[in-house]
Amino acid sequence: MSVIRCKSLELKLKRSFFTQFEALSSPLRMEALHNTDVKLLAFDFLSLTPSSTQPNAVCRRDTLLISRAETLGVVTSREHKPDIFLRFTIDDGTGCIPCVLWLNQLTSPYHSRRSPPDVRLIAESARNFATLIQIGVSARVRGKATIYRGKLQLTVSDVFVERDPNAETLHWLQCIRLAQKCYDIVPPSLPPIKRKANDLKD
Amino acid sequence: MASAPIPSGALVLLQELNSSSSHFKQGASLRVNGKLQEHNVESAIAIIADGGVTLAVDTQHLRLNLRVGSLYQFIGELSIQPNNEGILKARVGRNVDGMDLNLYQQSLKLLRQFQSDQISHLALNHG
Repeated sequence: MSVIRCKSLELKLKRSFFTQFEALSSPLRMEALHNTDVKLLAFDFLSLTPSSTQPNAVCRRDTLLISRAETLGVVTSREHKPDIFLRFTIDDGTGCIPCVLWLNQLTSPYHSRRSPPDVRLIAESARNFATLIQIGVSARVRGKATIYRGKLQLTVSDVFVERDPNAETLHWLQCIRLAQKCYDIVPPSLPPIKRKANDLKD
Repeated sequence: MASAPIPSGALVLLQELNSSSSHFKQGASLRVNGKLQEHNVESAIAIIADGGVTLAVDTQHLRLNLRVGSLYQFIGELSIQPNNEGILKARVGRNVDGMDLNLYQQSLKLLRQFQSDQISHLALNHG
């Protein structure tokens, strides 16, 4: 690998790490990564549990609320229902994350409250993502961590195909570093999520 | 929308894939990397090599333009032959020319250690 590529990978790693690290400096650490695309390895993603207090969130080890996640791996399955959805799996070597990309924006009542030009743009973007997802490509996928029929999945909002064959290796290192330096650190002064939620109710 | 779960291909180096390895099992789902040494178009069997070790890969289900000398990554299921040789029946393959195999190996060690630590931690807290 060339020196330039090494430097570029190092810079990418640092930039991504510090962006998420800054988010974790917030006093409300438990919610600090809410609405952030949290980089997770598949085995880590698949061990998330539903939040008992927030309907659209999941918890990592009962200490970190997560609503969105980012994964990077090889597309190993693809089920396409035109104008309805594309279901696929991302295998990162530690597990397989089931993903769903909705393609029904033009017919779904869920989007009827939005302006038609916006909905057309979202639908076009989703169709473009669907063409990128092919078996064997290395894809970086971001989306909402949701639960369907009792199982975790990623409801996709963004897809990027990685051409660099070292991108997955870099992703592993980023996930490990972020977990060790950020996600796993629980400041002793902060209450756990359940108590925090009760405090908010009062 | 429910479908059979797709098994994840465990990350394995060819050097680790010997008959005493825990991954050397009939039907084991694996992900391997190696440089293409040979490719028989009729049988669709490709031979990949890494670290002086070779593995046969059945590529009949792949639509991949294989070039001898290029680096490939395959995900598939291991089939143990009567002579105790393994063939990987690939369901996914891709060209990974430019992959830094040394970085990959070093990172894989860190990944395995991390995964083992995390699983132990989960078992301690939920066990």
